[in-house]
Amino acid sequence: MADEAVTPKPLHVRVWDAPTRLFHWTIVTLVFVSWLSADQGYMKVHLCSGLALLALLLFRIGWGLVGSTTARFSDFLHPPRTVIGYVKGLVGGEKHLYAGHNPAGGLMVVAMIVVLLAQALTGLFANDGLHFSGPLALLISDDVSTWITGLHSLIFNAILLLVWCHVVAVGFYLFVKGDNLVKAMITGRKPHTHVPEAVRIAFTRSYIALLMLLLVLTAGGAAWFMIQGGAFL
Amino acid sequence: MAGLIAARPRVSAKAYFGAVALATALGIAAAMLLRPAFAHTVLELTGLESVPQASADSFYAQRVQPLFQAHCIGCHGSERQKGGLRLDSFAATQRGGKHGAVAVAGDIKGSSLFERITLPATDDRAMPPSGKTPMNNDEITVIRLWIASGASGTLPARAVKGAPRLVAPVTIPELNPSAVVKKRAPLAARVAQLRGRFPGIVEYESRDSADLVVNATLKHDAFGDSDLRALAPLGARIVAADLSGTAVTDAAAPLLAAMPVLRSLRLMRTKTTDATVTALAGSKTLKVLAVGKASPEALAPLRRKGVRIYEDADGG
Amino acid sequence: MRQTETVQQMLERLDRQAQTRRQFVGWGAGGLGAFFMNTAMAAQQPTTSTGLSFRRDPSTPLSVLPPQFPAKAKRVIYLHMGGAPSQLELFDHKPLLAKFDGHDCPQSFLKGKRFAFIRGVPKMLGPQFPFHQTGKNGTWISDRLPHTEKLIDDLCLIKSMKTDQFNHAPAQLLVQTGDARTGHASLGSWVTYGLGTENQNLPGFIVLASSGPGPTANAGKPLWGSGFLPSVYQGVECRSAGEPVLYLNNPHDVSRASRRQVLDAVDAINHHTEQEFGNPETVARIAQYELAYRMQVEASEAMDIKREPAAVLARYGAEPGKTSYANNCLVARRLAERGVRFIQLYHWGWDSHGSPSDEGINIGFVNRCKETDQPTAALLQDLKERGLLEDTLVIWGGEFGRTPMEDNHGGSTEVSKYIGRDHHTAAFTVWMTGAGVRTGMVHGETDDMGYEVVKDPVEVRDLHATILYLLGFDYQKLNYPYQGLDQKLTGVKPARIVSEILA
Repeated sequence: MADEAVTPKPLHVRVWDAPTRLFHWTIVTLVFVSWLSADQGYMKVHLCSGLALLALLLFRIGWGLVGSTTARFSDFLHPPRTVIGYVKGLVGGEKHLYAGHNPAGGLMVVAMIVVLLAQALTGLFANDGLHFSGPLALLISDDVSTWITGLHSLIFNAILLLVWCHVVAVGFYLFVKGDNLVKAMITGRKPHTHVPEAVRIAFTRSYIALLMLLLVLTAGGAAWFMIQGGAFL
Repeated sequence: MAGLIAARPRVSAKAYFGAVALATALGIAAAMLLRPAFAHTVLELTGLESVPQASADSFYAQRVQPLFQAHCIGCHGSERQKGGLRLDSFAATQRGGKHGAVAVAGDIKGSSLFERITLPATDDRAMPPSGKTPMNNDEITVIRLWIASGASGTLPARAVKGAPRLVAPVTIPELNPSAVVKKRAPLAARVAQLRGRFPGIVEYESRDSADLVVNATLKHDAFGDSDLRALAPLGARIVAADLSGTAVTDAAAPLLAAMPVLRSLRLMRTKTTDATVTALAGSKTLKVLAVGKASPEALAPLRRKGVRIYEDADGG
Repeated sequence: MRQTETVQQMLERLDRQAQTRRQFVGWGAGGLGAFFMNTAMAAQQPTTSTGLSFRRDPSTPLSVLPPQFPAKAKRVIYLHMGGAPSQLELFDHKPLLAKFDGHDCPQSFLKGKRFAFIRGVPKMLGPQFPFHQTGKNGTWISDRLPHTEKLIDDLCLIKSMKTDQFNHAPAQLLVQTGDARTGHASLGSWVTYGLGTENQNLPGFIVLASSGPGPTANAGKPLWGSGFLPSVYQGVECRSAGEPVLYLNNPHDVSRASRRQVLDAVDAINHHTEQEFGNPETVARIAQYELAYRMQVEASEAMDIKREPAAVLARYGAEPGKTSYANNCLVARRLAERGVRFIQLYHWGWDSHGSPSDEGINIGFVNRCKETDQPTAALLQDLKERGLLEDTLVIWGGEFGRTPMEDNHGGSTEVSKYIGRDHHTAAFTVWMTGAGVRTGMVHGETDDMGYEVVKDPVEVRDLHATILYLLGFDYQKLNYPYQGLDQKLTGVKPARIVSEILA
């Protein structure tokens, strides 16, 4: 080794920034809240959590372009061949280290965002056949709204399936591979043995995240204003 | 290995996925216990339970299903499953919803479906909910009879006693002028000729019909047996004839009796007698008969057939 | 000395003299327009966009046309009880209302509602007459209609009628013409327009009115007017005492023959005018003169109830020479036998507000019941016996109902010895019987106070649609193009045919 001053290697490496972590767990909560509120008929709560989900998803997409390295799509989006190769390797017992999402995990992220976004968007146009309908349902005909409500129901099943896959996968890493991804998503740190040697993560400042969120909320507010025909309520 | 990470006992992949399979199965089982409707869906999907079907002649298919169709499936069907309940097939009605079965065979009190549709309209839980047309008494009776008779999909409609009359929705057939012309073609020329000869007496029953109605009452004595004979070529299509107050006599009887589709005949204030009534006894289509004087014996066969009979009032 | 010329020659001379350059130019320019108008208006009764044609020979505008599809009802007798009879004292049995008699009316009944005369908080008014059950089905009815109730198993009661007009004239117009404003064709006009009439020597649409001592038709002649339909379809008001139609008979020293000559001359002038201007109303006018001529003979006979045997007169309670509802009912039966298509009876004076005495439920209402119950029942029984109920549709009803609350006369503190109810739009009762109507049934229900309809509401346009269906018409297809719209009796809102009451 070169005779540089050897700074003691940190035992943990910071991999996830705060906005990404906050986003992840808020989404988990909101999905459950949405599920429960719809099931029990608290539609006003359902509307709020759905809108919050939509805002956060849009935020995440934006953050995926300007956020920290591990948060960016460019970091974990891989072509299908790479994903297949990775999974094959996993089964074969190979060990590849990734600071952020591994290729399979990246696929899950994309799938989750797409499906949740679809759910939120269809929810905007859905109606429950009685007195409650999404804020954009008035823009379309009843028949189309009913069809979209059907989709909203269907996509819910897809979400359940994805969540199951996700939990099973995380459990696999935790119990079989000894990789505690849950802790990592809470603390933001992984043991240095679980990240590649020469990892370089650039962290975007959190206040940028705040600005991103503000941007999303403003755009949402403007859209709401326009749909309501120039008024807020 | 960094010592700061708690050493997790590693599990083999096989063991892990085995545990996952077990947990998933337990989860599904729990869901099936909590949501009976889901249980039925699973059992039917896996072929462990046969999908109950309703027969076409069942009380369910003829009376109950149309009601569900009209009032319920908007929220309890393929598009939406409020409360986890579907009512768009017989199997679905047996599955019930989130809180279990909604139609319990023979148990009206225990059937939440019946409870909900009989709640006052002001109750939040009333079905259909406010804003939708509630079920009327007849419809509620149909549901009650269905549940009381076992909520069956096979019990025939005729086996259920006391069901309210089935009110068919009104459908008015579209007028097809060319079809009408075709229907009228065989006698069209004759009809035109006789309408010219007897203005205001012969008319088509309706715009979409080739059948004819004859009304000679306003001609009084000026219309008699010979005139009726002149109309004989149209006899095959005459459904109603009002000859009250005309000069027709029993001589017209064979003509009238021969009309194959005659439904209504009025002969008040004519000189016809029992002979005409007796001649009409063989009619298969006559539904209404108004006569002058006729004896009860002559009228009896027609009464037995259910023909509505009116006899000349005195005077007027 | 001028030679005597025929009427025709005289007219042609006047024509020639009347032609000026200005007229020539006018005709030239207007000619194209006139040409178009003539061809467009050549069909006096144009074919509507939905394909049913009501075109007839203009000289016989009331000739028979078949209905759209086979129908049982061939004629209608409509018994309109003007002023609005109280359903709570006749057909709608509300024992709970009796319990609340004298209590203050709850706010929920008053909030947001408009009343004709109630102000402030009125008291609830229980039924003023006892009810009992009668007939095969135990139908509830009050003791005010002892004759009609004997025929209860033949009636179809509709207790869930609703209207949106709370005053007489617009409400009567709505019930009779399908719209609360004047200018629309009445039910009788639509029916004679669609079906014509069997007897060409009598009007197709005859109106017979009677009343208690009080005021009569609030909405006047538009109730039986033809609106935008050609005027030949309007109702003809006949009288059951004295001359059947005013000014129908010739003056004393004018013989029928000389009347004929006058008519021929007038006909010629009208025909000439019609050729020159092509106004279909001129042809209608000609037809009406001719009808009046034929009517002189036939109407007098048809309306002469002295020709009925004493037993029949007694059954109706009819007294020849008077104007009464009883006389009118008997005339109605005679007209039905003589091929009149639409017979409209009115009996005014049911507006039981409670002041003056003739509007009191305890006085005037009692009298109205006495005046109408026996004749109505006699009419129904008569029609039934003669087999006329097979193809006659009979309708009975008012223009709205009466409130379960007492009419407090604008909050007046004066104690009135007459009891009354105000106008009520949310529920009223109508009954029908005859051709194609299910018998012995009750359709619809009101709440325990008799305020709102809770089951099977029937709007006025629904009733109209059902009546037209019974007569063999799709209410949408019986229409008339006017002011850019295919006008219908039921108006522009969709109507529902009450299939539950169809036999």
